[in-house]
Amino acid sequence: MKKRLCYFGLLIALFGLLAACAPPAQETVPSGGVTDQLGRTVELDGIPQRIVSLAPSNTEILFALGLDDRVVGVTEYCNYPEAAKDKEVIGGFNTVDLERVVALSPDLILATSMHEDEALRALENRGLTVFALDPTTLDEVLEAIGLVGEITGKVEEAAGLVNDMKERMSAVTEKTDSLSPEQKPRVFFITWHDPLMTPGSGTRHDELIQMAGGVNIARDLTSYADISLEAVIEADPEVMIAGVGMGAGDDLPAQFIRTEPRLGGTDARRNDRVYEVDVDIAGRPGPRIVGALEEFARLIHPELFAGD
Amino acid sequence: MTPYRTGPSLTELPVPVLPQRRRRIYAIIGLLAALGGVIVFATTLGSVQIPFTTTFRLLLDQMPGVDIASTWQSTTETIILSIRLPRVILAGIVGAALSIAGATYQGLFRNPLADPYLIGVAQGAALGAVIGFSLPFQWQGAGFGIIPLLAFTGALVTVFVVYNLSRVGKTIPVTTLILAGVALGALCSSIVSYLIITSGDKMHGIMFWLMGSFSLSEWSEVRVVLPYFITGVTIILLYARSLNVMQLDEEQAQQLGVDVEKVKRILLAAATLITAAAVSFVGTIGFVGIIIPHIVRLIWGPDYRFLLPLSLLSGAVFLILADLVARTALAPMEIPVGVITAICGAPFFLYILRRKRKVVFF
Repeated sequence: MKKRLCYFGLLIALFGLLAACAPPAQETVPSGGVTDQLGRTVELDGIPQRIVSLAPSNTEILFALGLDDRVVGVTEYCNYPEAAKDKEVIGGFNTVDLERVVALSPDLILATSMHEDEALRALENRGLTVFALDPTTLDEVLEAIGLVGEITGKVEEAAGLVNDMKERMSAVTEKTDSLSPEQKPRVFFITWHDPLMTPGSGTRHDELIQMAGGVNIARDLTSYADISLEAVIEADPEVMIAGVGMGAGDDLPAQFIRTEPRLGGTDARRNDRVYEVDVDIAGRPGPRIVGALEEFARLIHPELFAGD
Repeated sequence: MTPYRTGPSLTELPVPVLPQRRRRIYAIIGLLAALGGVIVFATTLGSVQIPFTTTFRLLLDQMPGVDIASTWQSTTETIILSIRLPRVILAGIVGAALSIAGATYQGLFRNPLADPYLIGVAQGAALGAVIGFSLPFQWQGAGFGIIPLLAFTGALVTVFVVYNLSRVGKTIPVTTLILAGVALGALCSSIVSYLIITSGDKMHGIMFWLMGSFSLSEWSEVRVVLPYFITGVTIILLYARSLNVMQLDEEQAQQLGVDVEKVKRILLAAATLITAAAVSFVGTIGFVGIIIPHIVRLIWGPDYRFLLPLSLLSGAVFLILADLVARTALAPMEIPVGVITAICGAPFFLYILRRKRKVVFF
């Protein structure tokens, strides 16, 4: 019996060895194309070797999957990780410089839904392969990472990253799910102060607030919407969070919620629960979004997450 | 001291002035040559560095009967032939269309402030485009999307409504037409503003369209715009003489045998058609349609038989150069071309205005 087991073990080891010698299974492109997040089926000729990213979140996903060397072009706003800044710049968000992209002769362009109406078609008409990501919710971010893994031959790396992110997400929600409605503070997230803008339902920030155990005071609004100062005062938020770090005058929203006299009577200001978060982390639908969730959780429920 | 002079007296000096007519014909020939030169020049420049000789040989290779062994990469060919050239050509067509439409409107309305957007073309097109952006589905045919199609429809419908609102019996009083155009345009603009603030994540796309840009021009767009452009321009040029006569009183023009109402209808339709076609693909580009005809008028005079073709050519040259600045000045970022047309156009216009200091004819 013992001997048999031993043989069996040997057999397994042998298989393992064979598997290690064989070309890695994930380094092939799925045949029949892959459906992107805009519902388009994209055919790939082989594993992409020259990738252009049209959004900072796409760049972060590519680098997180270890595709550093295959990324040949990024946008002006791709500032993370540090190595992304050394890549060739192919334009801003909306202004894709077509000739720079073509000059890089990429075999994959990673776009977003923002490019749906214009740039995507223009690039495809020049015979380029475009794959679009459109992650809104956290689940869709995970899906996007999986898709990028699939088309770049990094299936295992993507699965590993997704699992890691899921674990960190459930570590937060395990603690917040059991909270009663009274234990969930009213949260006001400010994206800009003039006009006063806030994420309504259906946005990633709304989802982050919910998962972190808070209640978004702008739940009745949809998408990123204008909100009146009156409505904010009436909702009397217990926590106020400003997104900072975007362009010039980036900390103005934070200054606004800290100093605006008419917000002085809110619960958040009286208890000094006014915070700021980096929008590069909290706003981008990339791998760092889970870090944003943890930060939201610490800010909204310091008593639960103080040690983290 | 007595003044002492040799040579012929002043009255005997030969007049070094070409007859007006000849001077203008030379201007047309000169501008045609300039247009050709500007097209080649603008195609050689871009955010990616390509040697001038390569571009030149590549362009020469496209001429019928010329065959040059290609030493360039296929990406270079894509950049020159399917990114830069269609963009340059489209900029030329749009510049020409807006300028000749502007000149036509100014002549029709006998109003120096008339521009191609005066009677609601731009606002109607913007409304159509924004509705296109808000639609939950995408449609594509003939190489372009639903947005240019709706913009074009919006422009034509708006002008049609303006026209019918201002019709009194069989005549179209110019003042009523302008007022109706301004009012309906304002209505369209306010609806556009409303749709923008409720558009959520589509907002960036809308703003980009409204600012006007050639950045994603393609041959398919050139092919769609060209028939409207050629038809409209031909009609306008055929009625140049009538426009001259109409610069008098409408009543006098009528007495001189011009069917004023008919000419008005035809010219309105032609100018609107080319403006709408131009606007629907590249958005609203300001300043060209108002400044170019005035500059031409100040330099070469108000005769519409020359004013129209000269505006056409100058407009094409001007917008190609403006777009060249827009795409190269801050490359790889792009400046909205409307910003360039205003920054370059306005001071140059003021300079001409000051230098000439003569009565501006309309």
